[in-house]
Amino acid sequence: MEQENSSTEPIIKTFKSREKHMCIKRGNLSLPECDTPGIPGTVTQRTCVFGGARIVLMPITDALHLVHGPIGCASCTWDIRGSKSSDSKLYKQGCSSDLKEKDIIFGGERKLYDSIIELHKLHDPGAIFVYATCVSGVIGDDIKSVCNEAERITSCRVIPVQSEGFQDHNKTKGHWIGCDALIDSVIGTSEMGVEDATPFDINILGEFNVAGDLWGIKPLLEYLGLNIISAITGDSKVEEIAKSHHAKLNIVQCQKSSNYLAKKMEKKYGIPSLKVNFFGIESTITSITEIVEFFDHEEMKIKANNLIENGLKNLDEKLREYKQRLNGKTVALYVGGNKAWSLVRAFEELGMNVIMSGTKNGIKEDYENIRDVVKEGTLIVDDANSTELMRLLKKYKPNLLISGAKEKYIALKLGVSFCDFNHDRISAFAGFKGFLEFAKEVDAAVSTSVWNIVKTELRQKSIKEDIHV
Amino acid sequence: MYNKLEYSSNNSNSQCSHNFNEKLGDYDKKFAVVNPTRMCQPMGAIQAMMGVKNAMPLIHGSQGCATYMRFQLIRHFREPIEVASTSLSEKTVIYGGEPNLLKALKNISEKQNPSMICVMSSCLTDTIGDDIAGIIEKFQDANIGIDLPEMVPISTPSYAGSHVEGYDKAILSLVEHFGIFSVPNSKINLIMGDLSPANVMEIKNLMNDLGCESIILTDTSKNLDAPLDEETLELHKYGTTMEELKDTPNSKATIALSKHVDSAGKYLECNFNVKSISGPLPVGIKNTDEFVNNICNVMGIDVPDSVERDRGRLKDVLVDAHAYNYRKKVAIYGDPDVVIAMARMVSEMGMLPEVLCVGVESPRFKEDVNELVNDINYQPVVLENKDLYDLEQVLSVNKVDLLIGNAYGASIAKKENIPLFRIGFPIFDRIGSQRISFLGYNGGIKFVDAITNMILDNYYDAEGYKIVEEEFSLDLVDEELS
Repeated sequence: MEQENSSTEPIIKTFKSREKHMCIKRGNLSLPECDTPGIPGTVTQRTCVFGGARIVLMPITDALHLVHGPIGCASCTWDIRGSKSSDSKLYKQGCSSDLKEKDIIFGGERKLYDSIIELHKLHDPGAIFVYATCVSGVIGDDIKSVCNEAERITSCRVIPVQSEGFQDHNKTKGHWIGCDALIDSVIGTSEMGVEDATPFDINILGEFNVAGDLWGIKPLLEYLGLNIISAITGDSKVEEIAKSHHAKLNIVQCQKSSNYLAKKMEKKYGIPSLKVNFFGIESTITSITEIVEFFDHEEMKIKANNLIENGLKNLDEKLREYKQRLNGKTVALYVGGNKAWSLVRAFEELGMNVIMSGTKNGIKEDYENIRDVVKEGTLIVDDANSTELMRLLKKYKPNLLISGAKEKYIALKLGVSFCDFNHDRISAFAGFKGFLEFAKEVDAAVSTSVWNIVKTELRQKSIKEDIHV
Repeated sequence: MYNKLEYSSNNSNSQCSHNFNEKLGDYDKKFAVVNPTRMCQPMGAIQAMMGVKNAMPLIHGSQGCATYMRFQLIRHFREPIEVASTSLSEKTVIYGGEPNLLKALKNISEKQNPSMICVMSSCLTDTIGDDIAGIIEKFQDANIGIDLPEMVPISTPSYAGSHVEGYDKAILSLVEHFGIFSVPNSKINLIMGDLSPANVMEIKNLMNDLGCESIILTDTSKNLDAPLDEETLELHKYGTTMEELKDTPNSKATIALSKHVDSAGKYLECNFNVKSISGPLPVGIKNTDEFVNNICNVMGIDVPDSVERDRGRLKDVLVDAHAYNYRKKVAIYGDPDVVIAMARMVSEMGMLPEVLCVGVESPRFKEDVNELVNDINYQPVVLENKDLYDLEQVLSVNKVDLLIGNAYGASIAKKENIPLFRIGFPIFDRIGSQRISFLGYNGGIKFVDAITNMILDNYYDAEGYKIVEEEFSLDLVDEELS
């Protein structure tokens, strides 16, 4: 018998203090408690502030990313972003100043300086981002002044990122620190020629080109006549971001990581911003429509209609097969942030039901976003550790879990289908064509015949019943 | 290779010590590490913990340490992996991490109740000076009378050594903590080092064939290659038990398969008079012979027929394959013991170990290289304390036919248009990394099969003829005629 979720009964067995971090949506007041420090001793799915800053900046393709810390911080995190590049592959290098015992005692500034100079000589990058780590913070290395000095000598942008891992329990702060590095040291440092400027210059914020998503969005926007100065930061170059302050509009795809940057750019350069979402048909159409409304340009309106018409042409027919198989299947989302709300509608368009949505690093604003899009009765979860996630999956038995690499095998071992929508995603999902890919991928995870065979048993089961958690 | 800009501050490039090998190529990098071939100490310690039954590893540090290491392990082994964190934050860094560690010990004891909690330090907590052993004692004192899990502190500062030392320290800590001298047993302690579950299985099978009991430190063979089963999500049900750890001082000998992880063996030898043998990693005929002979000597047994037969099968495949592999040049990167053993293995196959690259600096590795050079009469390019950037530069000058190492070498292999044979950690771009084995005679057979087929795929055509690029010409004859 399933446990009923009355207000007194916790959703799953867990720490007392964690019970309020899960709630069932019943009206507008349903928000889980969030943004609290992790409980020591649990297997957290969260990461550190350094990780947060690094994932925002890592997709800048012609930059080097130098981690000022012991080797581990670099060797566990290099080239894990899954962001694609159409040109430079420099960002895939894993660089470390490799702090050793001696440097911890005497300070690592000299070694950092030498490393920066050396890397500049070897690679001549568009910029060098220098990340502070826990240890470099604790020993008090002044990476800012080292960066300034190195920048003076090399005349290459050398940008300090104050991302000491321990700064906060929530990597959202890391996203902000990454954005701060851009707003302080990159954006506005290059000018765009007058002849290059158009009335339709825009930036795409919070699009990291994971699996090539940007390349699904870019053609749509260019067809409308928009001039994309930079994508921040997917498949971008430092020079492009440096000129991004000339844009007339910022569109924000990943609101979790980049709304902060949009707000800062609005304050500093007066650039308005628009939240967009290119995951799903309806969201893509709404996004296009809103962008066109912003520019209020007749020709663009006609083009937008063409674009939408063309995008929808035959799409239903192509989707029919997948929808048939996926109809009525249930989905649980447990992601870093943005996708917890931006994907809900897309799943509904496939005929699937989102029964749980959660994030690892959500802040109140994020849960409001989730609450606004999910149906009544949906479970909203904050920062579930691995045991909690296992219990949730066992209790709610969704047909599909959408999450990242760390959660993958928890789901699979329980017989729950899984799609990686994080760094290890294999196809691009954005835009109309992306939606078809999305349907294919979801179908491949849910409908594979593998699930039939793995449910069979060799030995006759004893009278032992399947007991719920 | 790059614009030789002169920087006033960059002092004396000339006295750089790159002169240990003239085949090194024309490049200069000595400060930064680019594309590392090593990881940090806690990572090695965690890998050792993965083979201990019912243990919970706990990293005392920022959340990122536990999470990113889990990420790497999970995508390599494709199994759920649990590593707890004390989730330090700014406040705890200023006032000390003690409250967090105490809470973590309490929470793990209450909620998961493992047999043991292994607390690894991180660079952060070692720098701020948290006394992990002291905090554990405090926790135990405050909970006298309550049945608590065993708690083992392991000091693993990331800024010293590498994952290799981390593994070594973890095994040493376990043996120091649990080892109790009692009744002699007839077992051999085997310290594995950072090897795949399948490799551990090869050794267990070999020991079985030899009819010899062992204590494997640590036994990942079942935990990290598990069936599709809910049980996998709980604490590890298999692996080295606490009883086995307690029994280690009573064994007949300790053999550290990897020389770099023999501290526990040395400790048992000094304190309990348990004979300690270090390496070599039993890969190929010579090294496996040495391993088998060591065991037979310790146990006073003869080599059984079944083992002799497997050895014969390895010799057979070496002979079957020799024509395809002759003088193919190989570059190998990774951990020192694996690299040197692999170098010997490929030379037994008739190939040439052309470039050897390790991320650590080690006198033992140097000795091993000298011994290898004497034995095979061929001088490889040796990159010690180097990274994949260095390897890439060297390979652009010293061409090889085959690359052996972890998944991070894929881009180099692509650039050089050579195949990459994946061994080591991490391998995230292929499946089955937990099932790659090359230890012992049987592992050797699988390895020779796989490598030779890779050579055939890449250097021979569909009918099995060697792909020859140059056209046949009669230059010399023409000259003579004219």
